[in-house]
Amino acid sequence: MADAGDRAREEFFTEAQEIVEAFSRNLLSLDATLKVGGDDPSLVNEAFRAVHTLKGLAGLFGASRMGMLSHRLEDVLDALRLGRMPLSAQVLDMLFAAVDVYAQILGAEKAGSDAPLPALEELLARLDLSSSKGPAQPNLVVEYEIDPGLLAVLTEYEEHRLRTNIEHGLGLYRLRVQFELATIDRALEDIKQRAKRHGEIVTYLPTGESASPDTIELDLLMASRDDLATLIGTLGADHVVIEEVPRRRRPSLAIGTVPPPGLGGTLVSLAPLAAGADALADAEPHLVEAAVSLKAVTQTVRVDIKKLDHLMNIVGELSIVRGVLSRLSERARSDGQRQIAGEILRLHRSFDRRLGELRDAILEVRMVPLGQVFDRLARVVRQISRDVGKEIRLVITGGETEIDKLIVEELSDPLMHMIRNAIDHGIEPAAEREKVGKPAAGTIALNAYQKGSHVMIEIEDDGGGIDEEALVEKAVAFGRVSRADAAQLSRPELLGLIFAPGISTRDRAGDLSGRGVGMDVVKTNLSKIGGVVDVHSERGIGAKMTITLPITLAIVSALLVRVAGQVFALAVSSISEAVVFERKGLRVVDGREVVSLRGATLPVCRLAEHLGLPASQERPARRFVVVTSLGARRLGLVVDAVLGQEDIVIKPLGPSLSRVRGLAGATELGDQRVGLVLDTAALIDELLVTGEKSATEAALDG
Amino acid sequence: MADLVKAGTRGVQRRAHTHKGPVREFLVLRLGDDEYGVELTGIREILSPPPVTFVPRAPRTVVGVCSVRGLLVTVVDLRRRLGLEPAATTRRTRILLTTGPAEEVFGVLVDEVRQVVRLAEGELELSSNVLGGDVSEHVLGVGRSQPGDEMIILLDLARIVGQLSESD
Repeated sequence: MADAGDRAREEFFTEAQEIVEAFSRNLLSLDATLKVGGDDPSLVNEAFRAVHTLKGLAGLFGASRMGMLSHRLEDVLDALRLGRMPLSAQVLDMLFAAVDVYAQILGAEKAGSDAPLPALEELLARLDLSSSKGPAQPNLVVEYEIDPGLLAVLTEYEEHRLRTNIEHGLGLYRLRVQFELATIDRALEDIKQRAKRHGEIVTYLPTGESASPDTIELDLLMASRDDLATLIGTLGADHVVIEEVPRRRRPSLAIGTVPPPGLGGTLVSLAPLAAGADALADAEPHLVEAAVSLKAVTQTVRVDIKKLDHLMNIVGELSIVRGVLSRLSERARSDGQRQIAGEILRLHRSFDRRLGELRDAILEVRMVPLGQVFDRLARVVRQISRDVGKEIRLVITGGETEIDKLIVEELSDPLMHMIRNAIDHGIEPAAEREKVGKPAAGTIALNAYQKGSHVMIEIEDDGGGIDEEALVEKAVAFGRVSRADAAQLSRPELLGLIFAPGISTRDRAGDLSGRGVGMDVVKTNLSKIGGVVDVHSERGIGAKMTITLPITLAIVSALLVRVAGQVFALAVSSISEAVVFERKGLRVVDGREVVSLRGATLPVCRLAEHLGLPASQERPARRFVVVTSLGARRLGLVVDAVLGQEDIVIKPLGPSLSRVRGLAGATELGDQRVGLVLDTAALIDELLVTGEKSATEAALDG
Repeated sequence: MADLVKAGTRGVQRRAHTHKGPVREFLVLRLGDDEYGVELTGIREILSPPPVTFVPRAPRTVVGVCSVRGLLVTVVDLRRRLGLEPAATTRRTRILLTTGPAEEVFGVLVDEVRQVVRLAEGELELSSNVLGGDVSEHVLGVGRSQPGDEMIILLDLARIVGQLSESD
């Protein structure tokens, strides 16, 4: 078993790799825009964020070299982002170099090597050089007598705005405003709006003084193309004092005072610079754009999936109401009240339709395309194929197939493992492939499609197929099967052995295997999300794994059965068929009851006895065997009646019942009763794997 | 446990309390011929039992599960929990809903719900003082309205359902 740390590390590499690749794509786009002489701040911003994320990741996993590089890159990109440094081909070259260095660092981290990386040292030196000798930037801000306290708290953006405004020749003004505490939000917004006509308010800061306990005094730093008199004309008021921020270098300019009546303080005016107007005109579309994109963001909401579960529960309860309506209609009809019966029936139909729509709508919200996982797998494949030196062609189809968000989350690990297996064990080395006339590059096809209420995912490789003899040898060696039994195995059963714990068809623990995670874990993890895996293999031609998954975990299509007078539900995904149980056909093999189903031996379990259900009066003329399967194992469950198929919402049993084996939860049936949902995987496990150990004894000692 | 219960009695009345100090309210319930008190603050709801679904392999004291307005409730038989023989459901049978650890909602099955008594701190005697250490941990103590008066066994409902998830 890989421990959590290993897996987390694994994910770290995957994620870091992913981000570096995104970063590299980003640089390519930047390069393209630069070549046509443009520049795209959002691309720079994305690159900055990528590096920033890498820095965080590096910190989490103690990858100090990666952290160092990210930190320096972050500085450079931040400078680009905030316009402190122009984007040039040289800078881009440096950034491209960083992509390679990242790859080297990741390789070294993976190998656990501490050896110095000359490329990293060199790049760090270049980065240092660039930031120190970057185009000397005239620090215009220092020319103004701005309160250093205020400058210290400017956000980077504010600082950038301030600098831009100064560069564009706008004048700086300080507005000292008294706000009523009660209405400060509105008043501040109001003054910002009014200021817009003349320029913009860059920042504001409380002065720490106030005329009364109910007011607060703020200093607003404003950049404006208009002169002081104009500003006083539109913004001035009893509680607003406007001053021009004087320039340090040329204090002589700050002379023409225009003391307006009723206002204290030194008021300085400076003729507006003509460039100011243009700058503002330029700035305006940006503002509009920003507003539009903000609006777009609010179109989506992030919702905790639990809330959707809750909605789904309500839908489940409404289905019960629907059932009541239907019965009510029948009762009215049998009482001879045809008209009322008809009306209720109409109501029932319309309710039914709306409820169906509501259910589908909620389900749709939970759905995400599988492409999310596939994209990640594509990157992993590239990585693995490099690692093992095999050329792999990955063909993905059906990435748009949608599936429950919760399932997607649980899918990436098993899929990654299966693909890794296919590359490591399935695809032969190039030389071997060419010898048998296959193309040197191995192909792995990842295909997804929807089939009814299920999603099928196929992973097919054109490798050597599964070495069945080796597999049997391994299984015998591990005691999973006796040699005598092994000879009796059907082909699917034989192939199913790859899911037995501890089995791997290679002795040599490769780079990728040898992590101790076998296909059994893959199977178990998939079955947790209601998935079933089938294996097909042709020696020399390739292997194919087919995963069948439910579309959603919220609603499960279930078969309702009756055992000893009690109704149980079984997930349809775990059932292959239901046949009539013939007592005559019952034989005992190895202390286990079996029946013969179309020539194959099927172990059966009499549910009523096995679960220790209280005896019921029911003596059905005939019983049924519901055939369930888990991977290659099959088990027939003997039930008294098969009641039909229904979509159910499974609710977990309380923690005090969590140790009860064989139950997956409970669901509400139409008649206010609760039906238990059988966990067929657990039953199979208990009966066929744990073998003789009585399950009742395991569960009942309380 | 059953022996302890002999002291239990019927007909504890709601009366004006004579003792000073904070007052706690207890719901008086019946199991067979005996009465017990459980603190009212721990009870969410009192219901006539809905159909209960038997849960195979569950701890013996768990009768099954039922649904209360869409909420899955684990039903515990208080009789079995206290080592008494189970009894058939009658029209007086009630389920007391209470929340246990991890937000699990339990329904505690009792033969009948009688009334509510209010006991001042002075009328309560905690089990450790009165009954010694070896007494079942299900008992909170005894309540006695006046010295020499009939007393009622007070059960610790939280502990009764709490231990279910721990150790059965």
